[in-house]
Amino acid sequence: MNIPPLSAHTCSLRIARNLHLLLITTLITGMSILLPACGGKEEDRSGKVEITFWHSLVSSTVPALQDLIKKFEEEHPGITVKAQYVPTGDALIQKLVTAVHSNTAPDVSWIHANFMQDLIEADAIYTMEEFIRGPDSLPQADLQDIYPALMEQAKWRGVLYSMPMEATALGLLCNRELFRNAGLDPDQPPRDWNELRAMARKLTLDKNGDGKFEQMGLFIPIFPYSGPYGDWMVWQWYPFLFQAGGNVITLDQSRVLFDSPEAITALTLWKEIYNDLNLSSFTIDYEVAFASKTLAMAIDGPWNIPRWRKMKNLDWTVAPLPAGPARNATVAGGEYLSIFKQSRHPKETWMFVKWMLRPDVQAFWSMRSGYLPVRHAVRSVKEYNDYLETDPPLRAYVESMEFAVAPRPIDYHSLRISRHLAEALEQATLGRKDPATVLRRAAAESNRLLESVVRK
Amino acid sequence: MVKATPHADQHQQSRRARERKDIIAGVLFLSPTLLVFSLFVVFPVVFSFFLSFHKWNMFSAEQAFVGFDNYAAILVNPEFWSVLSNTALYTLGTVPLNMVIALAAAYVLNKKIIGRRILRTAFFLPVVMSPVAAAVIWRWVYEPNFGLLNYGLSVFGIPSVNWLNDPTAAMFALILMGVWKSFGVNLVLFSAGLQGIPEQYYEAAQIDGAGKVRQFWNITLPLLSPTTFFILVMSIISSFQVFDTVYVLTSGGPLGSTKVLVFYLYENAFKYFEMGYASAVAYLLFAIVFVLTLVQVKYLRGSVHYG
Repeated sequence: MNIPPLSAHTCSLRIARNLHLLLITTLITGMSILLPACGGKEEDRSGKVEITFWHSLVSSTVPALQDLIKKFEEEHPGITVKAQYVPTGDALIQKLVTAVHSNTAPDVSWIHANFMQDLIEADAIYTMEEFIRGPDSLPQADLQDIYPALMEQAKWRGVLYSMPMEATALGLLCNRELFRNAGLDPDQPPRDWNELRAMARKLTLDKNGDGKFEQMGLFIPIFPYSGPYGDWMVWQWYPFLFQAGGNVITLDQSRVLFDSPEAITALTLWKEIYNDLNLSSFTIDYEVAFASKTLAMAIDGPWNIPRWRKMKNLDWTVAPLPAGPARNATVAGGEYLSIFKQSRHPKETWMFVKWMLRPDVQAFWSMRSGYLPVRHAVRSVKEYNDYLETDPPLRAYVESMEFAVAPRPIDYHSLRISRHLAEALEQATLGRKDPATVLRRAAAESNRLLESVVRK
Repeated sequence: MVKATPHADQHQQSRRARERKDIIAGVLFLSPTLLVFSLFVVFPVVFSFFLSFHKWNMFSAEQAFVGFDNYAAILVNPEFWSVLSNTALYTLGTVPLNMVIALAAAYVLNKKIIGRRILRTAFFLPVVMSPVAAAVIWRWVYEPNFGLLNYGLSVFGIPSVNWLNDPTAAMFALILMGVWKSFGVNLVLFSAGLQGIPEQYYEAAQIDGAGKVRQFWNITLPLLSPTTFFILVMSIISSFQVFDTVYVLTSGGPLGSTKVLVFYLYENAFKYFEMGYASAVAYLLFAIVFVLTLVQVKYLRGSVHYG
């Protein structure tokens, strides 16, 4: 006997009804799980505009950032700035890319220049022209006052996508106490490569006679090329490349230049000091070593000023880097602000970016954080000059800006090229390979990448 | 066709309806988990398989189909082979050491010794510890100038080693930490296995005059073999997937000597944003682990004794 049609109908109806129920339950459960994760930005009840600001400034400068934001909010009562800290630059770019995809990008983010390519390809950030020429325009005089090297880095393929927030330069961090102990005058830091080598040797001590050095004269920054400090190692090598008279890439960006004789000279210096001091048996945590007075000299940046200042038992200072065979040079870098297209308040966000460039704000930020000003005009702020007299380390960095060189921007495959170079630096020193051989290989690999772009 | 009486038919129908209701209720109860599982496990697995045949940088809207290009590019890249051999070295170092230590500890803790619970907890603690926190501690243990390990060695007059900055020592340092971190799990599994061996076998062996060593080789080991087999398979899989400790302890260095497969995958995916290439690495890793497991099942199953 067949099942009566009526009964079958009721049955399928019931299933259908239950299926609906199932679907609805699933949806509700799903929503309740997903919704809290993508809660939208809401307007403050008091009608204030809130702009979110992501950054990975060195953690010791975070209190200075809070002061800066307070100052901005006092001058702009209608706007609040919510700063969110991301511990490393690598994590920041990953978070930014993910946020752009899920439509939760911040209004403005602090970025490294080499992040721009990814953000531009994702069509995530505005060009600065749109604001500079907009209703709340930035005068040409202000633009031209910013260090040109910083502006070059803020561009990608000739278009300006960000504004500098602060500048950095590298200097030579010295422990004055260890200088005195070794019979050296701490006010006479090394002036050229020969003096650097000689002093480094003199400050390297085997205290207990076990054949190993307990005190290191100079830290040559060799880090695993595959790790988070690979780019930092390359950055610290650039001053030596410039001092030898070299550069990173040709002006038209068709060919890298780290197989040049100048580059080989610079890496040979590193290799010789590295081997001479037997640095491969020393820690790579140079900041810990400097804090524990087992390291006399290191290449360092202004962002660390607040860190060293907190260590009251440390007698330290910063000197400009020694001159090389070709010239006096250090590497200039900037850290930048980019405005996201997903921002609901681009006007207010631009106000923040523009405010950041004001000479007195730049002076304020530099004095609090240790970062360097991005424009010349700050040097004519009296308060700032008076302050520099009381802060020799910051003054050394600011004065280094006068002869600082920005590496020419690499618009294509910059991360991979930096990594090839990092690998060469590690191989020549720790790996004891010939500098010329490893640099030529790194340059050949990089040039192959650049050629593949041109062919496209 | 069997003709059912109207009564039986009705009865059967109501039973069917009840069963359906049960199934629906079951599915409803499962739905939150199923949803999360499919969203965060099934979808990424399928999507990364799809991606492994495409070129995608995570930013662009479209994924360009490239066929087997990603797989071909990986296989001709010498870096992949060096990364694979690093991973194999890590596995060869970790798995046997891990199993021997876990078995020895389980064997000792199976006896009624004082403080066995405390010891068992202590050995298991590293397993539940956050791998990043643990790796940070080990960075200090391996620190060349003030580190605990070098201090310990110096007591015996052994010269200090820069553990994390020496291409040969770094892999050893990684293996040592890997064993410390994971042998607790195997210890618990071995303990359970040991407790499952009936006491009578040992009594019988004792009456027959077998010594402790003989008992271990002829009773404990064979009867433990199902556990041992399980642990071997799982340990090989997990050591092929090692990532977090490498990331924090050595970042693949020095000179790329500790760069393992998953680190290589991570680097390509989240540093260079080559999602297609990285997905292909993931599927190659899957294939390697799958084949290794098949081989073990085929050749080692025969020597496993089930009670």
